[in-house]
Amino acid sequence: METESLGREPQRREPRAGQTVLAPAAAELAPSGQVGSLHRLSDPALSELGLEDFLDELLVRVRDALAVDTVAILLLDEESQQLVARAAKGVEEEVEQEVRIPIGQGFAGRIAAERVAIFIADVDHADILNPILREKGIRSLLGVPLIVEGDLIGVLHVGSLKPRTFGERDLALLQVAAARAAPGIERARLFSALEHEHRVAMALQRSLLPKQLPDIVGVEAAARYLPASDEVGGDWYDVFELGRGRVGIAIGDVVGHGVGAAALMGQLRTALHAFASEGHGPGRTLELVDRYVNTMPQYAMATASYCVLEPETGVLRVASAGHMPPIIVANGSTRVVSIEPAPPLGAFPYASSQETETSLRSGEILVLYTDGLVERRRISLSDSIEALLAAVSGATSAERACQLAFENMVGLESLRDDVAIVALKNCEVPELLELRLLAEPRVLADIRRMLRRWLRARGAGDQETSDMTLAVSEACANAIEHAYSPAPAKFNLRASAQAREVTIVVSDAGDWRSPRGQDRGRGLAIIDTVMDEVQVSSSELGTEVSMRRTLGR
Amino acid sequence: MRLADVQFSSRENAVVARLSGEIDLSNAQHISAALLEATPNTSLALVLDLTDVTYLDSAGIQMIYRLREGVRARAQTLRLVVPADSPTNDTLRLAGVAQHVQTIGTVDEALSELT
Repeated sequence: METESLGREPQRREPRAGQTVLAPAAAELAPSGQVGSLHRLSDPALSELGLEDFLDELLVRVRDALAVDTVAILLLDEESQQLVARAAKGVEEEVEQEVRIPIGQGFAGRIAAERVAIFIADVDHADILNPILREKGIRSLLGVPLIVEGDLIGVLHVGSLKPRTFGERDLALLQVAAARAAPGIERARLFSALEHEHRVAMALQRSLLPKQLPDIVGVEAAARYLPASDEVGGDWYDVFELGRGRVGIAIGDVVGHGVGAAALMGQLRTALHAFASEGHGPGRTLELVDRYVNTMPQYAMATASYCVLEPETGVLRVASAGHMPPIIVANGSTRVVSIEPAPPLGAFPYASSQETETSLRSGEILVLYTDGLVERRRISLSDSIEALLAAVSGATSAERACQLAFENMVGLESLRDDVAIVALKNCEVPELLELRLLAEPRVLADIRRMLRRWLRARGAGDQETSDMTLAVSEACANAIEHAYSPAPAKFNLRASAQAREVTIVVSDAGDWRSPRGQDRGRGLAIIDTVMDEVQVSSSELGTEVSMRRTLGR
Repeated sequence: MRLADVQFSSRENAVVARLSGEIDLSNAQHISAALLEATPNTSLALVLDLTDVTYLDSAGIQMIYRLREGVRARAQTLRLVVPADSPTNDTLRLAGVAQHVQTIGTVDEALSELT
């Protein structure tokens, strides 16, 4: 087939069926009126439309300027070295089917490989790869490469349903469009990629933070997280039950931003929780996490603070690896827990972590936070911490402490760093203890812890406390063993005191089964021995075991 | 940390199981099963050290009886280490079974009795 060469510098190229390689046209050949609308394609503001919208805008303008029936853009996928249809007008199927053209093959492939403009006068007699072009009834095609700073990024082509000769003026116009659009496409593409990464990092961060803080008997927990305005960081927090009546609370801040920081945050949160679950104290736990960070092949650094509270005794153990000091809200006043922080995690091999013991009494709230909450331009860190102390001093719940901190410390100015805060309150012991509990054996340990606290608050001695706790736990075990109902069964516990006389009532909706065999008999024997008076009343509504004992008898 | 944990050590002719934490309806059966599983047939005795147990109720007493039957069926013996001032001893006393359950103060005493 004949190969035509238009333009001023005819080039000798390998001929291909029906394709005409065109030499670049002079830009001034393009009709100035039509160029006007194309000029704006290099407007940087357009790139913020995002890639899809930008391409759409580009295609409409090119179609109108050249009075063609179809316009398509294929972008280079560097990995596969293929052109992928990204946007089209009149040949939308190309995009829907994600047509891929290998570089060097067919019409668009050759434009990309040789970086030349190609004209096809009659599609029927030309070497084209994409069947959609034929199926649509396109007769003539003109295509140009999209090039940014010497790099090929794709191909732009137009088509006509009627046989048409694209002249030098058409070529010049398409070249102008390509030259204007290419940097915009590249910017929009980059913008989309960044936005995509931001979304991924955000989703990752969210999925790695606790969905919901656990319900732990005797304490109340709350938390807040706010990502920075432009980037996701690596802040995390955690609250977990350690078993045997202890609660762990952690906070941390990974150095860095984006997906990497979020992923590292997830690893550190898991590692800390795992070491803590082994029963290690806060100091040792942070040492083990530090050791883990130091074995990571990539650069990794983070600050963290980890505390363990025993709500029953109020004993609070605190450790810090380069992290902001915790604060405690106690009856309208606040204090900073003074600790000797270890170096940040990953900073030095063989760092050791000190542990400080303090107390978080009933009604007091522990607040941990990341530096994003207190680091402000033009305000010293100590002034900022003072402001935080003042902000949370009125808090009477963990939730309120988080709310007050955010309201007062997170202003309207855009956040440079992400912010995390987590608060834990050691709940007050009520005078009247009324609980409705699931009839499952695992609640027994919680009941004992609550009852011990309650009995001590009523002035019971150590032996009295442990004996009565044993007796009540036996009564509850009986209610649990004999509970049966279609729905998850529940039972009630009510403990009250008048002067020195303590009354504890365990009631359920099940039948009281007279204790069978020796085992339950032993439980009942314990209740009888420990308590001054025991009454069991059974009705259609259920069974009630009422136990009474005078303290200090 | 779980409500209770168990650490095993092998001695000459005996397995020493050291329990810690709290034993109640929620874990007593699992613990007795684990203890029997960990005592090989070649052992003459299972020494159950309850020194570090901070709470034990009637479910725990039942566990002790179940263990005693289990080792007896294999012609082995069970030795219970329960210090006099421990919560476990309180429970045995309050349940009125102290005279039926033979206990000993320390692991060393229990082991020396076996030889």
